[in-house]
This record gives sequence, C-alpha cells and structure tokens, in this order.
Amino acid sequence: MSLSAEIKLQILQNIERVTKNGADYTDARFYTNDDSETLFLYDGNLEANDTNFESGLGVRVLFGGAWGFAATSDAKTIDACFDLALQNARTAAKLVRVPLQMGKKPAHQGHFASPLKQDPFTIPLKQKLDFLNGIDAQLKEDWIAKRYVYAEFQKKNIYFFNSEGTEVERNLANVFAKMMVMALDSDGQMQRRSQELFTTGKGTRGYEMLTSPELFSAHAGRIKEELAQLIKADALEYGRRSVILLPGQGFLQVHETIGHPLELDRILGYELSYAGGSFVDLDSFGKLQYGSEKLSVSAFGGIENSPGSYGYDDEGSPERDYLLIDKGLLVNALSSRAMIDEANQKAGRTVFAESGGAARATAFYRAPIDRMTNVNILPGNDGTLEDIIAGTEDGVVLDNPVSWSIGSNREHFHFGCEIAWEVKNGKKTRILRNPTYQGHTVEFYNSLSAVGDASTWRVWQVDNCGKGEPNQIMQLGHGIPVVRFDNVITGERK
Amino acid sequence: MQKNKAQEMISAVRARAAARGVNASFSLHCEKSHLMRIGNNSVSLNTSEHLTRLDIEVINGRRTGSHTQMGDVTSEEYVEKALQIAVAKAEVASEKDYQPISVVVEANVAENAQYDQTLEHLDPAFKADAYQQIIDNVGEEYNFSGSWSSGSMELFLVSTANENTMHHLATDQDFNVVLKHPQKKWELRQWKSGWRLDHFDVEDVINGFRGLLPTYENHAGYKLEPGEYRVALGSAAIAEVVMMACYTGFYGRSYEEKQGWTSKYKKGDKVLGDNINLVDEPADDKTFRFGFDMMGKVRGRFPLVKDGILRNLMYDSMTAAKYGRELTAHTGGSASIVMQPGSADSDLLAAVKGLGRVIYVPALHYLNMPNASQGIFTGSSRFNAVLIENGKVVSPIFSSRITDSFQNVFGNVSLISSEAETVNLSNTYGRRMPEAASMPSYIVSDKVKITDSADSF
Ligand SMILES: [Zn+2]
Repeated sequence: MSLSAEIKLQILQNIERVTKNGADYTDARFYTNDDSETLFLYDGNLEANDTNFESGLGVRVLFGGAWGFAATSDAKTIDACFDLALQNARTAAKLVRVPLQMGKKPAHQGHFASPLKQDPFTIPLKQKLDFLNGIDAQLKEDWIAKRYVYAEFQKKNIYFFNSEGTEVERNLANVFAKMMVMALDSDGQMQRRSQELFTTGKGTRGYEMLTSPELFSAHAGRIKEELAQLIKADALEYGRRSVILLPGQGFLQVHETIGHPLELDRILGYELSYAGGSFVDLDSFGKLQYGSEKLSVSAFGGIENSPGSYGYDDEGSPERDYLLIDKGLLVNALSSRAMIDEANQKAGRTVFAESGGAARATAFYRAPIDRMTNVNILPGNDGTLEDIIAGTEDGVVLDNPVSWSIGSNREHFHFGCEIAWEVKNGKKTRILRNPTYQGHTVEFYNSLSAVGDASTWRVWQVDNCGKGEPNQIMQLGHGIPVVRFDNVITGERK
Repeated sequence: MQKNKAQEMISAVRARAAARGVNASFSLHCEKSHLMRIGNNSVSLNTSEHLTRLDIEVINGRRTGSHTQMGDVTSEEYVEKALQIAVAKAEVASEKDYQPISVVVEANVAENAQYDQTLEHLDPAFKADAYQQIIDNVGEEYNFSGSWSSGSMELFLVSTANENTMHHLATDQDFNVVLKHPQKKWELRQWKSGWRLDHFDVEDVINGFRGLLPTYENHAGYKLEPGEYRVALGSAAIAEVVMMACYTGFYGRSYEEKQGWTSKYKKGDKVLGDNINLVDEPADDKTFRFGFDMMGKVRGRFPLVKDGILRNLMYDSMTAAKYGRELTAHTGGSASIVMQPGSADSDLLAAVKGLGRVIYVPALHYLNMPNASQGIFTGSSRFNAVLIENGKVVSPIFSSRITDSFQNVFGNVSLISSEAETVNLSNTYGRRMPEAASMPSYIVSDKVKITDSADSF
C-alpha cells in the first residue's frame, strides 16, 4: 500500500505548523500497513493461524530540549495527533536539565526495500501450511514427545518525513521460522533440539528463504538424531574448560553482552529503570580492551538478507557499516542522533562523529530508541570448526540457548544451552546434556582464543529483542563465526 | 453500562454471524495509555497512545483462524470485513486432532470497580512535577531515571454462542524511579503501583530514598563469595520467582507435557514448604482484577498451593481441549496471583534481629530457567540489595547471582511478612494488559544459593 497524496500533504503541513509553533525538530512516520502472520504447529495441531494488521501515524516533536510523542490509528485525527505530540513535548520541557538536541542534517530523499522474490503475503495460506506440515511430518517419531514448527511473516510500508525536509520510504519484509523436537531423558527431564531459519548473509528475504532446504528444512533429520543421543547422555559436570560456541549460541552471547551494553541510550542511563545500564561508560571508548585481539565486532547494515538491514533508521539516517570493537579495543556504540549529541557534550570531546543509524521503533505507536542493527563478530583466521576442535585440549562445543540471564549492567551472564559435545585432546568424544556456562563479560571476551574463518560465519535472525518503555520488540541479525573461549566456568556447582 | 457505538456495531455483526451458523468470538480492546520517562534528571519521553484493536477468532469444525485489526471501529462493514478474513483462514486451516472449545460468554458482566477517572485523564504535567519534587528534595547530585505508565483499558467480549456481553473498564499505573550515584554507581529504586491516582504518594517516595541513602553513602560495597546464605527476598523478587514457578509448574500446559517442575507430582502432593499458600484471587484489590477471561468464563478464587500442597492447575482453552481437561478461567487476561502473608513483623530489620547475617534482595533482574524440569531458576540482585547483620544494615552488596530451585527456596522459608504489597507485573509490549500480584513485603529463606557475584553494583 502506498501513501495517499492527501495524507502526505496533511503530514507536511502539520510539520510546518508545529515548527512555526516553536518545535526544534519534528518527525512523522506513517505506516500504511504493518502486517504480520503467525503460523504455529504444535504436535501437528495448528495452534496459531493468526494475522494482524496495523496502520497509523506516530509523531515525535522536540521542544525546549525534550521529546513529546503521540500516535493514532485513526487517519482522521492527524492534526490532533501533531497537537498532542507538541503539547506532550511542552510538558516534558518543564523538567529538562540536559536539553536534547538533534544536530542539523541536510534534507535527503531515500528509499529502501528488503530484497525479495516471493512476497509471503501473496503465497496462499494452504501452500504455507502444506510446507510447514511437511516439516512436521519429518519430525514425527514415536519416541519424540513434542514437535514444534513455527513461521512468522512481516511486511511494513513506512513513510518518514521530518522538519529538515527529509523523506524516506521503506518496504520491509521479514521471515522467521523455528522447528523443535523434545523428548524425555532417563531422569524424566524434557530435553530439546531446535533449528531456526538462518542465512549466510547473501540472497533475498522473501518466502523463498523459508523454502530453501539448506537454510531450514534440511536440518530436521539432524536435530532428531542429536535429540536421540541427548536423552541418553550424561549431564555436563561442573568445572573450568574451553567453550566453543557455534553461531546458534554465539549470536545470543554477542547479542546480550556486546549488543545491549553498547546501546548508547543504555550507556547514558536512559534505560536504568527497566532494561538496565551498561558497565561501559563514555571513558571506555578508545581505552577499554573489551576482548582479545581476535575480537573485531561490526555494526553492519549491508547484510543482504537480515532483519537488521533496513536501509534507513526511524529518524531517516542511513544505516552504516562501522566497527564497534577493533581487535579487542572498544571504539564505537550503537547510536542515534540525539544520543551522540548528548554523549559528546557530556564527555567534552567528540566520542562519536555521527549517528550509528540505529534509532529504531517497533511500530508507528512507539518512539524510536537506540537498537541493534546487525551486530557481528568478523570472521577470523583459525580455520573451520574441525580445526578449532583439533586445537582444543579440554572443552565443550555448545549450541542453541535454553536459558539466558544477564546482570543489569551486562557485566556478568549465565547461559543454558540445548546440547554440548565434549572435546578431549582435540577430538569430539560424546554428547552431554544440561550444559550451562557463566562468566564476567570483559574477562570472558579477553579469553577469546580462536575465531573461525568465513566458512563458519552464519547470520542468525532475532525476532524478539525486547527493550524500552513502552516496551518494543525488535528484529535484527547477528553474523557470527565459530568462536572459542578458554577457562570458562561450565556446569553448576554441586 | 451503556454500550457504545463500536460495541453496538460488533453486536450487530455477531448476531448476523450467529444466524448464518458461524462460530466466532469478538473482542474489542481500547487503551488510552500515557507514559513519561525520565533520564539524567530530565523528561526524556512523554508519550500518549490511543489505540483500538478488534480480535476475531473463528472455529470451523476442528479448524481455527484469527485476525486482529487495529483501528477505530467505524462501521459494521469494518467488523464484517475483519470477520471474513478470520473465516477464510479457518476454512483453509489444517484440522486439529482435538475439538477446539468455543468461546461461550457465560454471564453478562460489566465491571469497573478499579476505574479512576482522575487517573485516566491525568495531566502529564502532574508527573513532571512529581519527578521534579523528588529530584529537588533528594538531591540533584544524583542521577535520576524512571518511568511512569498510566492509563485505562476497556475490553468488550461477545461470541456467537449467545447474546451475553462481558465488559471491563479499569485504570492502572506503574511508577518507577531509580537513583544512581554518578561516581559510586549504585542504584536505588522506589516504585508505586495501583489502579487509583492516590496509590502514588510523592512524600513516600522521597522518604524511601532518604531512608536508604545513609547506608549507601557511608559504606563500601560488599562482594559475596559463592555459597549458601540466609536471604530475605523483597516483594518484587518473590513475585518474579513465584510467577516463573507458576508458568512452569501450575499451568496445565507445562504439567501435562511433562516440561515443568511439578510434572512428577499430582494434585494433593506436597510441592513447596508447609507455610506457602498461593491462590489466584481476582477479588484481591492489591491485584488488577479481571472478572472474566477471554473464553467468556467468570473468574473466581482458585487455590493453587495450600500449605505447600498442590491443589489446582490452570488450564487454558487449547490445553483443556487437547488433554480433555476442564477449562479453568485462565485463557488470556491476567491472573491475580496472591501469596498469603504470614505472621512476621512487617519491619524486616526487626524480624531478623536474632538471625545473624541475612542478605536482603528486594528485586531480581532477568530471571530465567536453565532447567524447567527441576525448577531451577537463575537471576541477579538489583536495586537496594544489602547485607544485614543482627537487624542492622551493614553494607550494600555487589550484583550477585542466585541460581537455585523453587523447591529449595520456597521449602526453607522461616519468616513471612504479615504485610502484603502490590507488585506490578504489566509489560507494555503490544497492548495494555495490566497484571499485578499481591506478595508479602518479604520472606526469609534459610538456604539460598548465591553462585556468582560481580565487583560492581
Ligand atoms: Zn535483546
């Protein structure tokens, strides 16, 4: 759906009106459509067959150094929505100690569309269900207690306008999917193996992604085989050893302990009452040895088919490709325009030269905040997974999260995984169940001793990153190679 | 209560659908939400959202489909169109191997016992003024952040099974403020929750901070070594753990599927300590009260654990249908989980006077379950956590991780406060759906495993 000329004119006139009434900066996002579809087969029963349609306007006004925001799902109340946003900003401006500023940017026009061959919303429901039922049939075995096949499709058309004259149109599409099998182990505990839809970073992101066997359906047999071994396996014993994270676990490690602590709004203290702060402060940039020299981390919007690639953020800034961590040294953050301005003022120096293009909002009725884009570990020179295992004396290979719990400043963490493969003297020996590991962020990344090459690098999709108040669910990606950390506490103390 | 225009339009479409033999339920969710955020002693966001969502679910034999449409209900045609989308989805859906349960609105309900017009129409300036007073009175040298959500939620439910209607109108608020020392980095929190505006009291918040500050200003942080400790959990921490125990132990789904920690037990078995009593009590005014669920069932008192013994499990419609169990009123909506208060002095410090060393953890951050079958949870301390010795606060503690089982923590409780507190559990993901639990202001568990700690708060 495209935006009608009438609504566009009304939005532009209102931006002009609000500016005349004293606003320092105004932006508006009109979503002509925000569609999503969820299909969920549980033990072969279609438990979710849902569609959701949203459409509306979100207006953000900066007045006297403070933000006001208002949203409406009723296209007849556009004028009133601008009035309310301005009024909210005026009220907010009554309590301002550090006035927020957007800086000045020249007007630009932009357009971005997620590359896709087949729009999932044009594929008949029957065809989608046949495909998912086909995977479910592959997962079915007498000894398997639970089967789970899930797919979610999203499509958004967003029109952005601001008081600098910038106009950006985006047509975004996402496809997510997950399959899982569960069975009881010898102690009566439920064990599971799962596989999510992932990519190598190349290609399109329509329905064709889901039906590409190597990215999803071809893994059904493997997760079943692994589960069969897992339910007979011993539990991982407590002790310090190396952990080798496959991308299916590494993505969440990076997400929770590099991505979130490097969101600039968290660093500046804007998330303290809910999501938490960060152990990183403005002094850390250019000084903190976040990890070993093998650790280089990028924020990269250019991955072809990731939900973290969106062209322009929700304040119209183009998405960028830059390093967050360069050979272990912390150099940059995930940021938006107002946050970098405040950070530079606070630090008394230019810590951040420009916005990271990471101001993102989950829906028209939410104001943008600093989010992850694609936060990636760059591939290294330590070869394949087999090469890394061969160089490991005592360790475990870990895959797929069961549980994650992180300290409020992201300074420490505890993860539980679905499966571990024991490694002794350079060889994979046996499967172990109930693996957990924990650590302190900076110490952990400084123990990074091996980074797999590009052949091990996979883009993992995240469809449910939660942050902010009001809460916002965000979609993003992580490109992650196989990585090894040494001397890590694994298992639970008796 | 008078039906408004949108409700009349939905009722008309419902009647026509029923006459055609369509099996459908319709719910209309309207929210007026306001939220103010504070960061670095300033208002960082002041936001208003007026949103309306129409949810339609259709059952066609063993097939189901649902559709949600956001936007104002302006005509019967609008409702009919949304219904047709759900009907078409149900037609194509694959069949379930069980018969889905239809929504039957079992009584006419119109409830607004927790509605405060003043809170619904609160001028955001009131919030800015209150934050200003807190900052001015406690001290600008600290860094204040926080959020204050308030608003109203109106829910209207009908189905083609009959002409009954259920209507819920209520207000709620969730106030938070965090004080952080800019150099020493510790964080203190005050919070208020309730359905009336006067559940917030600015003096209380200011005095709360004033009471805590001397301990923090005058003592360095203390690092706990891993081990077993006597721990006092505050109401927010208890609620976090209780709710996770509920999701993985007292819902029929996790129980029937042997995924939860109660799966090895049956009703009548002892699952927690003798002094633990948990009930879903929709009449408790310290919770956000819902008199019905989204299956149209009237909600009433529902004991979960009595004297440590498992009494009942909560069944949503899909689980009840799949496993042939009786539907309880626990499909959608919010439960009102209450842990019964005990007899201990409501003043924690007085209560633990003779107990030597006690770690007080008022809130837990980022709880998760590495092993649901064994009921093992993990999470870390946050805000106002202190070391108490013989009834005196000795020092604040650094961020510490608790990894333990529900049965161990709730099986070794020696003291339960006689005072109950509201703990707001609402999230603001998606739609406004307030939820609160009523918890003792603290419990003391004698054996809690601290498994890790940081060198910072
Ligand atoms: Zn996240």
